[in-house]
Amino acid sequence: MRCTKCKGTAQVEVRRHHTAFCGPHFLEWFEAQVDRAVRRERMFTPQDRVLVAVSGGKDSLVLWDVLLRLGYQATGLHLNLGIGGYSQESQEKCEAFARDRGAELLVVDIPAEYGVGVEGLAQLTGRVACSACGLSKRYLFNRVAVDRGFDVVATAHNLDDEAAVLLGNLIAGNVDALVRQTPVLESTHPGLARKVKPLYRIAERETAAYAVLRGIDYVLDECPNSAGARSLLLKEALNLLERDAPGTKQSLYWNFLEKVRPLLRTASEPVALRSCVHCGQPTTAEVCAFCRMTERVARKLQSRVAVSAARREPVAASSGGGGGPA
Amino acid sequence: MEGVRTVGELLDRLQLNPETVLVVRGTELLTRDARVADEDEIEIRPVVSGG
Repeated sequence: MRCTKCKGTAQVEVRRHHTAFCGPHFLEWFEAQVDRAVRRERMFTPQDRVLVAVSGGKDSLVLWDVLLRLGYQATGLHLNLGIGGYSQESQEKCEAFARDRGAELLVVDIPAEYGVGVEGLAQLTGRVACSACGLSKRYLFNRVAVDRGFDVVATAHNLDDEAAVLLGNLIAGNVDALVRQTPVLESTHPGLARKVKPLYRIAERETAAYAVLRGIDYVLDECPNSAGARSLLLKEALNLLERDAPGTKQSLYWNFLEKVRPLLRTASEPVALRSCVHCGQPTTAEVCAFCRMTERVARKLQSRVAVSAARREPVAASSGGGGGPA
Repeated sequence: MEGVRTVGELLDRLQLNPETVLVVRGTELLTRDARVADEDEIEIRPVVSGG
């Protein structure tokens, strides 16, 4: 297979565009695709401060790399989720990436801030781990962006992610989620950051190819909680279609954005947001879901400490009372 | 692998969907028609992530 641009040996085939590229021309094409998405959707400009959510996986580190190369002011934000060795390695990959490029990286350590990691937050509040994790990510990305005056939060959702979420939302008939599914989510509250997805035109296989060709060192292991995740099943189904009908994922998502979503917007009532009485973040309730979760966890952790202190007291009393063994 | 001459044949033999993997030889990515030899060291890298 030959590169469409230079006729050299191709390294990456982009079947949905009936094209293939050598390494250098693939990198050039990829960066142009991202820049086109940013400009076309008016996501941000070189004057804006962009907070990039980075997990240490391929997509987020590729996004950060491309934005820095394109000259955007991109600061990374990593959340340490407290999932054992997986979280430790993820943070190390982000730190190494930032160090190599002289880029700014912010880190929020969830176990240090809230007493337990996302699995503990889930366990202590009767949620599944991915639910507590998703809630924590949405809350903390927004909070850090607003508190530190960033203009926009960029996440690395790619075409495959968006197509799989879309398929899931269509199956569930989740109209509110469909209305919110867009590459640019405008702020509707002073405490709500704009959110953008600059990789929405890029397939997951292409972000992986970019990472390999640029030598980006990312976490290859999957989150241990993602095994059997529904999103993986939806992606598998879409990739079966894509294998025999290249362009299926792109057609599904782009046709939705251009033809279907505009019709849904008129059918959806805007959600009234107010400020959480505890943290000030936007919410539909008096106290936001994140505060409710972390406050419940704090109470349970305190009662555990109290119970364990009560259990220790007799021992302390006996040794402190002079009645210990001689 | 006996009888395998290209990346496409290799993925067929392993029953892998080409949309879900990259095939890497050293620092080079291989397209479906790229020829592979018995002595080649090939990495098949999954690209699908999610949770």
